[in-house]
Amino acid sequence: MIEIRELTKRYGGTVAVDGLSFEVRPGAVTGFLGPNGAGKSTTMRVLLGLDAATSGEALVNGRRYVELRRPMREVGALLDAGAVHGGRTAFDHLRWLARSNGIGTRRVAEVLERVGLAGVARKRAGGFSLGMRQRLGIAAALLGDPGVLLFDEPVNGLDPDGVRWIRGLMRGFAAEGRTVLVSSHLMSEMELTADRLVVIGRGRLIADTSVRELADRFGRGVVVRSPRPAELTGVLAAAGGSVEAAADGALTVTGLDVADIGEHAAARGIPLYEVRPRGASLEEAYMRLTGDGAEFGAVAP
Amino acid sequence: MRDVVAAEWCKLRSIRSTFAVLSVAAGCAVLTWLIAFQAARAFDGLSPARRADLPLRPIQELGPWIAGLCLGILGVLAATSEYRSGTIRASLVAVPRRGRLVAAKAVVVAAVALAAGEAVTLAAVIGTRLAIGGQPFTDQTGSLCQDLPAFAVEGTSVAVFALLGLALGLLLRSAAGAITIMVFLWHIVPLLAFHLPAPWDARTGSVLPGALATQAAGLDADDSIYGDLLAPPVAAAAMAAYALLPLCLAALLFARRDA
Repeated sequence: MIEIRELTKRYGGTVAVDGLSFEVRPGAVTGFLGPNGAGKSTTMRVLLGLDAATSGEALVNGRRYVELRRPMREVGALLDAGAVHGGRTAFDHLRWLARSNGIGTRRVAEVLERVGLAGVARKRAGGFSLGMRQRLGIAAALLGDPGVLLFDEPVNGLDPDGVRWIRGLMRGFAAEGRTVLVSSHLMSEMELTADRLVVIGRGRLIADTSVRELADRFGRGVVVRSPRPAELTGVLAAAGGSVEAAADGALTVTGLDVADIGEHAAARGIPLYEVRPRGASLEEAYMRLTGDGAEFGAVAP
Repeated sequence: MRDVVAAEWCKLRSIRSTFAVLSVAAGCAVLTWLIAFQAARAFDGLSPARRADLPLRPIQELGPWIAGLCLGILGVLAATSEYRSGTIRASLVAVPRRGRLVAAKAVVVAAVALAAGEAVTLAAVIGTRLAIGGQPFTDQTGSLCQDLPAFAVEGTSVAVFALLGLALGLLLRSAAGAITIMVFLWHIVPLLAFHLPAPWDARTGSVLPGALATQAAGLDADDSIYGDLLAPPVAAAAMAAYALLPLCLAALLFARRDA
């Protein structure tokens, strides 16, 4: 269980996180989404006690992270896969981490086995590929067999096999009843991994919803084009649909399906140029949600 | 706390730079033997008057002097290697109580530096005595047992430099900056202080970190660039201050700064 309450973090004059509140419950994978610079990593860093909150609080299992006595037994975190001393072997890297939380050496061998690094345990981490470092980071997160797992952009730089492996791993953790929070800037990835979504932009909460709700909210409706849009709007509204007009003259109708719309239009003799169910992907939904929230928006020429 | 100290010990001995630094420190002990051997041969051909001007002690003191720089660098690296590689975040996620992390680092660095410092110092003293092969150097007439306590005190200066290095590393978070300041404190500032007009040369030269161990052992500065104005207890207190005050300041800042 993770609780973020009215969290604000300022770096000098820059507000990275601005009054953010949300909860992450056990038994599900929660995707933490937002464009680059939205405040995802900052939120995670405050949650882990790396950065101090300007105001508000971030709690793990009801307590601040710094109050946890053996934190790795409660929370496993993958923050930055590159954060390994290149001169240390994979085994030594995990061994000092394990020692700091009173975890035995046998567990080190176990997690190395689990992430598939047992064969290179005695090799220096400096020679590891990004994918191997990512696996080493996940092994570190698993050392204390924690009930809460935090992954910051875990699939960055992974090949398709690695991506699928991590996806399965996270789904497995959630199925075991653990709390899993995964940050990403890729909606397409979260669509496949997450059950719930927390979407932020410019440090503020944009949406706290399930993947299904979000798809329904943005994915439904029928796009209709007609030379007589005003008349058609009246007809469809009278038939119980709600109609939104876009700038290009297309109407988005919800509450009526393609057949309804065709029949109502035919009954009044209104010509239709196009009738198609809108297939908005979550990707589009996400783009629309975060359109104003992106920190560095590119301007079209 | 025991777990955290064990983890820091694990960290320190699983990187190569630790062994590189310790090897250089050990190498400088061997160097003192070679220089003493050379000095003993020169001693043979000297007139009795010149012989009185050729003490062996400065050669023996090269041991703790160079070891101080080596272990000071080890102290710096104990902090900055974490910042350079980014493992500082892993360390703080594993041990979120920052005071505890700094204390554990200090315990491990001080213990290693003390062991290395005493080993190099004693090796330098005993080795040079053997290397001169019974030549009657004026300052080597006492028995080894009489001289050793003073040298053991000098060996502790290595731990002072190591803790100073750790503090500098934590404060600056960059090896280049911290090692530069270390080298300044270790040798450049004493050289500059030596050229100050009297009485400031001796006054300044007495309170520099490299000057304190000799004074704490109750010895004179002789021909060195340092002064010897402090009483042994005062010098010992000053050593403790050099070791702990910068470290406390670093720990305070470390606890407040975002990692």
